[in-house]
Amino acid sequence: MKTVIALFGLDSSMFNEAGLNFALTELLHVWILLLFVTTLALWFFWTSLKRIHSPFRKALLISLRTFTFFLFILIFLQPELEFRKSHTLKNRIAILVDDTMSMSIKTFPSEQPRIDFVRQAFEKNQGVLESLSNIFQLDYYLISDQIETVSSFGSARRYSSNKRNTDFEAVFSKLKTLYGSKSLQGVMLFSDGADLAINSDNISSGLNTLLAGWEVPIHSFQAGTNHMFKDLAIEEVDAADFGFIHQPVRLTVTIGASNMGNRNIPLVLKDGDAILLSHVLEIRERESRYSVELEFTPNLLGNHIYSLTVPLFAGESVEKNNRKDFQIKIIRDRIRILHLNGRPSWDSRFLREVLANHPKIDLLSFFILRTLDDDVVSPTSELSLIPFPTNLLFNDYLNSFDLVLFQNFSYKPFIDKGYLTNIKNFVENGGAFAMIGGELSFQEGGYAQTDIEEILPVDLGVEPQLFLDESFDLQLEKNQFRHPILQLEKESVANSIVWENMSELNGINMGLKPRKDADTLAWFIKGRDKYPVLVTGRVGKGRSLIVATDSLWNWNFRQVGEGGSGRYYNRFWNNIINWLIDEPGTRLLKLETHKERYEEGEEVLLRISVSHPNYNPYAEAKVLLTMKTRSGEMKITNLKTNENGEASHRFTPMEEGFYIIKAETETDKLKLKEKIEFSVFSETAEFQKPRVNETLLKRIAEVSGGNYEVLTKQTDFSKVSFKNPEIKIKTSSKLIPLWNNWWAYGLILSSLSLDWFIRRKSGLS
Amino acid sequence: MPHPTAIDSLLGQIERRTSIETNRGLTQIALSYPKLYRYPFIYMAGSREFEKFSANDIKRLRNYLSYGGFLLIDDNSSGINSKFDISVRKMIEALFPQVPLRKISRDHSIFRSFYLINRVSGRKQVSPYLEGINIKGRTVLVYSANDLGGAWARDKLGQWTHDIVGGGNRQRQLAIRLGVNIVMYVLTLDYKKDMVHLPIILERLKRNKLP
Repeated sequence: MKTVIALFGLDSSMFNEAGLNFALTELLHVWILLLFVTTLALWFFWTSLKRIHSPFRKALLISLRTFTFFLFILIFLQPELEFRKSHTLKNRIAILVDDTMSMSIKTFPSEQPRIDFVRQAFEKNQGVLESLSNIFQLDYYLISDQIETVSSFGSARRYSSNKRNTDFEAVFSKLKTLYGSKSLQGVMLFSDGADLAINSDNISSGLNTLLAGWEVPIHSFQAGTNHMFKDLAIEEVDAADFGFIHQPVRLTVTIGASNMGNRNIPLVLKDGDAILLSHVLEIRERESRYSVELEFTPNLLGNHIYSLTVPLFAGESVEKNNRKDFQIKIIRDRIRILHLNGRPSWDSRFLREVLANHPKIDLLSFFILRTLDDDVVSPTSELSLIPFPTNLLFNDYLNSFDLVLFQNFSYKPFIDKGYLTNIKNFVENGGAFAMIGGELSFQEGGYAQTDIEEILPVDLGVEPQLFLDESFDLQLEKNQFRHPILQLEKESVANSIVWENMSELNGINMGLKPRKDADTLAWFIKGRDKYPVLVTGRVGKGRSLIVATDSLWNWNFRQVGEGGSGRYYNRFWNNIINWLIDEPGTRLLKLETHKERYEEGEEVLLRISVSHPNYNPYAEAKVLLTMKTRSGEMKITNLKTNENGEASHRFTPMEEGFYIIKAETETDKLKLKEKIEFSVFSETAEFQKPRVNETLLKRIAEVSGGNYEVLTKQTDFSKVSFKNPEIKIKTSSKLIPLWNNWWAYGLILSSLSLDWFIRRKSGLS
Repeated sequence: MPHPTAIDSLLGQIERRTSIETNRGLTQIALSYPKLYRYPFIYMAGSREFEKFSANDIKRLRNYLSYGGFLLIDDNSSGINSKFDISVRKMIEALFPQVPLRKISRDHSIFRSFYLINRVSGRKQVSPYLEGINIKGRTVLVYSANDLGGAWARDKLGQWTHDIVGGGNRQRQLAIRLGVNIVMYVLTLDYKKDMVHLPIILERLKRNKLP
């Protein structure tokens, strides 16, 4: 070879290989053409020499022509001599080690964590790996749902199981991309197979397709076994992120049980400390997975951290998976209003129109269309009247309403006095009540000295009072101008103008005296006398309101006739409803977090705002913040609000779990409490499916053409074989064309000349 | 107005039969009356052709009805296609050119707002149905061609001022019931279509052969 290289005047030390290259030889039509031309040429050579009788000359000519034809073909194929410098590459083997949290789970009876099986195997096979590394390039990776390159597992001792999620499909997909065209001859996978992304024990179709198309054998080594593995786990809680108050919330819970025997276990759902429901689940030896449907009905709005627990039994491998916290935001889907009208009137008609057309209101109306004194001059069968379902409304379903509205309604002939107590209890427990004026309301409705009077923000007195049929302009209480009920326009000046232009009212219930703790928002002022028209009050956890006139509809229809708009009437009633049902924006003490859930170690920001009962900001308000966690209740801090009535506080929760933050303050002798719930999540998903998934590891090996083995003290990596095809890589080369030089053309010319000469000598032209 | 006591008489019946409180004084107003919107219910009756409403009056009335008012038109003449009827239809066409006057169906709340009614009547039986205009789901105008006012009207001594043509006292009672129901509908709208009422109303309608 060195001589040949030297023949071409090249340095022989620069090259270690030589080869001949042809152009165009890879094209099929070139070969077909050559075959055709060769056949044609041979036929021509033979037929053109028929007249030559000397066999020697004939043979000589055919040889000459064949030689010339060969030279033409050679020039056509453009031969090149290539001198190369190349060297051999090592094939690769990827070694993947699962470092997720599930690898810390112990295997029985040795009580050895799964991770230790891997460590042992690497230590024992250190020599095998070293010899393997002489032949192959070994690439080491730690895998979870990511792949992390590490130098080697000589450092296996510092390898720890702390990652939060196993996802083989993601891992192999990344690996496939990473290697691309590189020569990967095999993968050694060390794992427990506890892949969280796979719902059953078997391989997923995505992973199956990925591995089947990859053509790289994966040899899976199973770390740990399920032998004597005892565990009861809440594997999954499937619930919507939000639910509706007073509407059932459904949960689908998956429980996993290994070696738990036959027993009944209680499944307990709690909201904080309150048990919402308990369900008994029958665990049977032959079944390892259970699906349980649970349902509960939330009665409180806001973010709630629910915890689902199963008992912890002695000898369980994993403790953390016996409890699962999850968060559901309970919202109001519809505002449920019970609207009782003492008699049909314009006021009730326009209010019903607002309520019935409101997209978020579920309205149940009752109009008293006839009284016992009325003579309908008809049999009942010809009337559309229905019995008034008092027991259903005020006993069975009262708590399903958000607001009870009595409009010019006298209870006496229709409602038993005992039901008034139910209404009082309903309000004290967080419901809302409003009484709208008219000749059948307040004292004239017989409410004096009843339970209803106790929840009204006004005292009725004992003497019957007249309903004064007089027109008047409503006078707002200046001090209450920031009250949310009076906000008909966002901007203060615009709001004032709207109120100044409101139509006059006519008709007022007299003799009402606002309670000391009530807030009178508007008055009818006659001379030196003031009569409350719009009064709000707080009763226990609920709210109440009175409107001492039956002419608010003037702000709708009549307002339009006076060139105004009826929309403020609608807005006014929306404001009233929002305030009555305690919408968060109408609270005097507001407490919120900047996020609804936090990761462990993340900082929590609490924002607080305090208002006076008239909704003016409460500066310098002292707010006590306390926190309740699983560990108990503790004080966080005391805060003071700024001139805008606002304060904030940041802290970092010490542990994962649910947190209930309570804020307490006092404003104008009104004790205010507010609480907010949020959760701090620590990822424990790896313990939700803690079993070793040997089926998955076997299938991975099968599909990819690799082997499966359970790691033991005897595991020998040398039993695994890998193909090792030679891979050469060219670093430099020199091409010398053999066809475009004088030698080639001279030979052709000489051959043709000799052919011509012999033919002339033989008497041919 | 051919029957000036008709409305007062109807209000008396409403007072007697239902829980509605009425203001018995009848106020006659023009559409240009500045305090028009203090009266959400207008009763318009006649027996003769009337002058075309001015464009301003038509606009006022349209706004009045669109924003919550109600108009009951009663043809007090005794004929089919009376001149009053022709004038009314022209007026309504100008009032709501895009919304034609339609027959009010028998399942409309007007026929079940207080009494369960299966038959439309008045002093005469000119038309077996009421007609009306619906705006945004609310019937804002009802037109009766049967002289309802004639069946309602009484004199100062409380005697009926007009005889009923065809059906006698029963027909008068039905006309009064229809009047009561129209007023009840205006004050309660589709209240009787709330789900809580439906089972009982449908059962009664099924069981009883109603007038």
